[in-house]
Amino acid sequence: MRLAFVGKGGAGKSAIAGTFARILAREDHKVLAIDSDPLPGLAFSLGLAIDRSPPIPDDAVIERKAGEEGPRWRLNPDIDPFEAVEQWSVEAPDGVRFLQFGKITIEPRDLWRPQMAFRFVINKLPAGRWNVIGDLPGGTRQAFTGWGSWANTVLIVVEPTAKSLLSGRRLARMADIDPENPKRVMVVASKVREPDDVEMIAKGTGLEVIATVPWDEELAEAERQQLAPIDFAPASPAVRAVESLVERLSEERVA
Amino acid sequence: MKLAVVGKGGSGKTTTSSVIARTLARGGMAVVALDCDSNPNLGISLGVGDEETERLVSMRQALDEGEEAHAPTWDTLLSRYGSDGPDGVRLAVVSRIDNPEPG
Repeated sequence: MRLAFVGKGGAGKSAIAGTFARILAREDHKVLAIDSDPLPGLAFSLGLAIDRSPPIPDDAVIERKAGEEGPRWRLNPDIDPFEAVEQWSVEAPDGVRFLQFGKITIEPRDLWRPQMAFRFVINKLPAGRWNVIGDLPGGTRQAFTGWGSWANTVLIVVEPTAKSLLSGRRLARMADIDPENPKRVMVVASKVREPDDVEMIAKGTGLEVIATVPWDEELAEAERQQLAPIDFAPASPAVRAVESLVERLSEERVA
Repeated sequence: MKLAVVGKGGSGKTTTSSVIARTLARGGMAVVALDCDSNPNLGISLGVGDEETERLVSMRQALDEGEEAHAPTWDTLLSRYGSDGPDGVRLAVVSRIDNPEPG
């Protein structure tokens, strides 16, 4: 399973992705949760209050030598993507491996090398060894090209607001942007309160709504307390809805 | 006054910006609202609607695709690529949507 969550900022991508990864790992599947947002996000939803990720080394990408063919930057040939993932990631609860790229911090640091290494490694990760669950940054920038090209299933998280719907529509239009990496694209309705919200989201995006995550005060409280929804409120309606989503996508799992 | 509103996705940047813009305009000030988000939604919160927001976005995209010349001045930019919203707020979309990252 190579699953990316995209959508407008604040739609619930991280909370749903983190919960999804934990549930999948509890079912004894090897799960790699990846966060390619330069701002904080997925770690809290996975239950990692303090993030101790080791920095991705600067020499993980190297420049093409004079006279060589191909792109200017490449992954250091000494690096094995599978081992790199083990080394650069940290363990989250339930055995989820968590990998993120360079975060923006107060110390000025050039982040493009670690970010590029992150991307090379994910794109070269052998198929069938990890279930990869990705939390992509809000908006449309990374969704289907470059950073999102590793995914084969993309779930657009949409809440019943005009702005979230417009973002969902834009993302739906971009689904075929990279014909070399065809994707299955579906919608997760999020923060649903009213009976006709799901229909509005289905119509507004023109896509299949594969799961409905209700508005859930307990989820909001988990966010307030910096706790993973699955730890703070394991029986909440929102967590239950993510369980159903995992079930829905079960045929794609890598044991 | 030149005011930028920033923050995490979903925290209310667009809503806050639009209310500030409309409030200032109602107070009699000339207001330009610039949508600098790569997923531009400000038009919706300002009240110009989906279609007009998307029209401004496609004009901005056309600029990158070479179908339009870049506006030579600030005033031209606003008159060519902007739109009048409620309370007389002038809205322009600055960012393009599908910005391919370098490398």
